[in-house]
Amino acid sequence: MRPVYIVGAGMTRFGRSDFSLVDLAGTAGLAALHHAALSKVPVDAVVVANMGGSRINRQTALGSALVDRLALYPAAAEAVENGPASGASAAKIGFQAIGSGMADVVLVVGVEMMRAVDGLEGTDFVASLSHPEVEYIYGVTLPSLAGLFTRLYMDRYGVERKHLAMVAIKNHEHAMHNPYAHIHQPITMEGILTSPEAVVNNPPVADPLCLFDCCPVSDGAAAVVLASKEIADRLGGARVRIAGIGQATDTHAVHEREDPTELRAVRLASQKAFAMAEAKPGDVDVVELHDAFTILEIAESEAAGFFKRGEARKAIERGETRFGGHLPINVSGGLKARGHPVGATGVAQLVELVWQLRGEATGRQVEKAKVAYACNFGGFGNNVIATVLRKEER
Amino acid sequence: MTEAVYAAKCTTCGAVSYAKHLICPKCRGEAFQPVAIKGEGTVLSYTDVYALAIDYDVRFLRLAIVELDGGLRVTGQLLDADPKLGKRVRTTVGVVRETGGKATHGLQFMPA
Repeated sequence: MRPVYIVGAGMTRFGRSDFSLVDLAGTAGLAALHHAALSKVPVDAVVVANMGGSRINRQTALGSALVDRLALYPAAAEAVENGPASGASAAKIGFQAIGSGMADVVLVVGVEMMRAVDGLEGTDFVASLSHPEVEYIYGVTLPSLAGLFTRLYMDRYGVERKHLAMVAIKNHEHAMHNPYAHIHQPITMEGILTSPEAVVNNPPVADPLCLFDCCPVSDGAAAVVLASKEIADRLGGARVRIAGIGQATDTHAVHEREDPTELRAVRLASQKAFAMAEAKPGDVDVVELHDAFTILEIAESEAAGFFKRGEARKAIERGETRFGGHLPINVSGGLKARGHPVGATGVAQLVELVWQLRGEATGRQVEKAKVAYACNFGGFGNNVIATVLRKEER
Repeated sequence: MTEAVYAAKCTTCGAVSYAKHLICPKCRGEAFQPVAIKGEGTVLSYTDVYALAIDYDVRFLRLAIVELDGGLRVTGQLLDADPKLGKRVRTTVGVVRETGGKATHGLQFMPA
């Protein structure tokens, strides 16, 4: 396997977009090519990550459409759909293409326009990833799977609503320093949990999860340019290598898991990624987790190996996962506040980490960051991709 | 009620699964027989979900994962005004979704 580098990263501001799906993807792709100073170098392949275009935007074959929008012919092109883990899947395919020697430069773009439809249709579209015969028929939606998981996790591991609120407050605070974030709104413990108005401000969505435990519904696109060592050597700037990628799957129906509170696919994918990177969780300086719901930041940080089970809430209480803490998690704002255009998220995580490792995350730069980790969580934990990035000095 | 909801029992190892597999996740066997899901169990977890899918004209749905006596775990709708973790419930079959006038039958849980 040849080493693979991320030589450029870019994204659109997440939120609500008036662009078309292809323009949104193209804007992020162009930003990443400019960042890489590669807009004049031939791109061998384009991989687009998208979950719902065929249903909610009535657009298919996004790889071909993006090649045309950016005039990258005759580059190879495809779109991949792997639920909310589509973004990291697309990056993995690019990684494999360069690692195998089939390509030298690959543009990976994640894109989603979820606000093209109303909330009900949007929720139902995401719910269609649940088990069709034993979950979806009951009215299961992603928030309900998260609510079921949260109640059990709280009961077993001493997580309280205040810990969930701490995650939300932290990620909203982080997003204040990220100009690309969907939500720029500081929130307080009083406002969302402890004051009499909190029940109005923060109504239940899938109890015990409330509004501020859930990511917003976002439009957005994010892109990275992957390149072989030969190409990376020709470019200036700090060099970021994809040191490891791991992927694992689990049962489709959550009730079939031996321990439904164990995110086994997160644990296995992370172990694989760390093994490939010849690194361990203790080496990591900056982390992006898939906090579509606040509980997931807590549970993933344990399953990935950063904390023992039941210990993450203590680290949160001590402020260790805040910017400036010993293990900053979701400095970008995470899915909670940067937003969650599902197909774009896995790529946006990599964009943030590339900026962090290159020292370009103005206003939220984690000092001396050298090793970074991302968890892109598909389904409700039934398809997970972990990625470890490493900064290489020239 | 004539409708029933079935789990699949592996004829090789006897493992019962409420989710169709063509290969048994426990023993790799490939032959199954349907077994009607019935009886009592305990609530493993539940949630009141307000973020609803299409087809539901209600304020919220109360969903649960129940562990049936014998060990089979199932997802379904909880018809209990006073839900608690570990509470005993019995399974029934009812209409759990109606799409364009077409009813889908599934598991519902009542206090035992």
